[in-house]
Amino acid sequence: MTRGAAIAAVAIALAVATAGCGLGAGPGTGGVHVTVTSDFGGHQIAAADAASVPGSETVMRMLERRFDVKTRYGGGFVESINGQTGSSSQRDWFYYVNGVQAPDGAAVTSVHHDDHIWWDLHDWRATDSIPAVVGSFPEPFTNGIGGKRYPTTIECGSNVNAACKRVTAVLSGDGVPVAGQLIGTGSGPDTLGVVVGTWKQLAPEVAAELIAHGPGASGVYANFSGPAGTTLRLLDPDGHVAQTLGAGAGLVAATADSSSVPTWLVTGTDVAGVDAAARAFNADALHDHFALAVQGGTTYPVPLDGGQ
Amino acid sequence: MRYRRRPSPLHAARAGAGCAYCLALGLATLLFSNPVVLGSVALAVMGAALGAGVGREVGRAALLSLPLVAAIIVINALVVRDGLTVIVRLGNLPVLGQTDVTLEATVYGAILGLRALTLITCGALYTAAIDPDEVLRLFRRVSFRSALTATLATRMVPVLLRDSHRLADAQRCRPGRPPSRLTLIRAASGGVLDRALDVAAALEVRGFACARRPARGRRPFSRHDLHFVSAAIVLAAIAIGARVAGQAPFEAYPALHSPADAGVLGIAAAVIVVALLPFADRRGIAR
Repeated sequence: MTRGAAIAAVAIALAVATAGCGLGAGPGTGGVHVTVTSDFGGHQIAAADAASVPGSETVMRMLERRFDVKTRYGGGFVESINGQTGSSSQRDWFYYVNGVQAPDGAAVTSVHHDDHIWWDLHDWRATDSIPAVVGSFPEPFTNGIGGKRYPTTIECGSNVNAACKRVTAVLSGDGVPVAGQLIGTGSGPDTLGVVVGTWKQLAPEVAAELIAHGPGASGVYANFSGPAGTTLRLLDPDGHVAQTLGAGAGLVAATADSSSVPTWLVTGTDVAGVDAAARAFNADALHDHFALAVQGGTTYPVPLDGGQ
Repeated sequence: MRYRRRPSPLHAARAGAGCAYCLALGLATLLFSNPVVLGSVALAVMGAALGAGVGREVGRAALLSLPLVAAIIVINALVVRDGLTVIVRLGNLPVLGQTDVTLEATVYGAILGLRALTLITCGALYTAAIDPDEVLRLFRRVSFRSALTATLATRMVPVLLRDSHRLADAQRCRPGRPPSRLTLIRAASGGVLDRALDVAAALEVRGFACARRPARGRRPFSRHDLHFVSAAIVLAAIAIGARVAGQAPFEAYPALHSPADAGVLGIAAAVIVVALLPFADRRGIAR
């Protein structure tokens, strides 16, 4: 072998090694939870915990390993899980990892330690893009997105100190360090933001503007009427107003634009509504919901399904 | 590769029987995915080629198809995302993105490759052992104009073959390196339209243009005709029956499921026996 060939061989070997190539599946991981629901989390179909996950595991492999899955387009898209398939042309399977819609297909999205993977079969007539959901709480705050943990900031409006303290305490209790900052400062594209305040206080926020533009922009099936936000309108899967809540109504929702990690909003029509939303800011209340509206002691998972 | 009459049962059978036999083997190739049974079909085709005395021709066709088989395996392994058992991690490749080669995709690619190989050898067996003129005569009763067009097309192959031989002989008479095969193919195929006119003119002179639907020939069935037609019917029945009944199953994704139980082995053995049985009777094979 000539010297040039030897150098080329070493360079190729180094390139292969640094590019993540190799024989076999590579080192594995664990602590992954998979949940399968339909109708925006309204009906649970199946769930599985995986203490041990093989290396090179993708969201699709993880799903196929545990459930009866039928795929199409070369294994890139899910057609049915455990026999559940879309009954109409605008009803399909979507998945979220740690409460965030993955930018790539399930066949190429890697599974990381302690990931919470959520598959949901739902109608996408109103929107086919829901950037973030709250039902995997305390994700993405505890384990991040794509294996990368992000810093968390909390912005609180005036007169909502109690709600703000409650939200901060819940996050801290889950081991999430939280940095407080003034409302309107903005969390930046690489920081998970939690914004607590009445809708009137939050209205200038980018996330609030997305929600104000409806599900097509934010993926949140609820919005407030007018800049004062005195009423909270809950939408059905078609994006039509199904119910309107007045004073004391709160909302816990998450959304994101295309270039940022999600921002969570704990908001309401008034201070009482923000307090109600803050009380619902916990894993039990948010479990398997895309977003959650509250009024008094009543919770309303949104989108509202039919006459709920 | 071209047809040449040889002393074999398949050559002795009428073209219709030979066609049915090759079609049945092709049908079995398409309907079976279980590697054991598909392998038995491939073995049956090679056995039939040896029995017909065209083993060398069919073997050459199989060798020529190996690059295609390799391409099918590689492409399937790289493109298909299905499969649970990662055997090679290729990292983030241009165009393909994050690529993990799975055992299941590789095996399924091999199954597709084996299927392509078997179909190619079926075609080679047909080409080498079934008289094309007799096949065309068969189709003249159905549509003599189509048969004429097919005759024109099929006549072109030996004409171009002879042209390229003449060109190669002429090139060898000149000093310097002999031309490559590619150069010869380019030279021979460059004048294909002119040669097609020549062939068409020759066929017209021979009265092909005035062809009428021929009368039905009353040639009695030979023992070889009956053997190969029977084998074709039984092979087709086995393939369709096994498919409908869900026998010899095979699933590649998400995990390999390929039983090799008594039923599968029985089907594989039946395919080989039925396909090769007509070659056992060697009486009356010389013309």
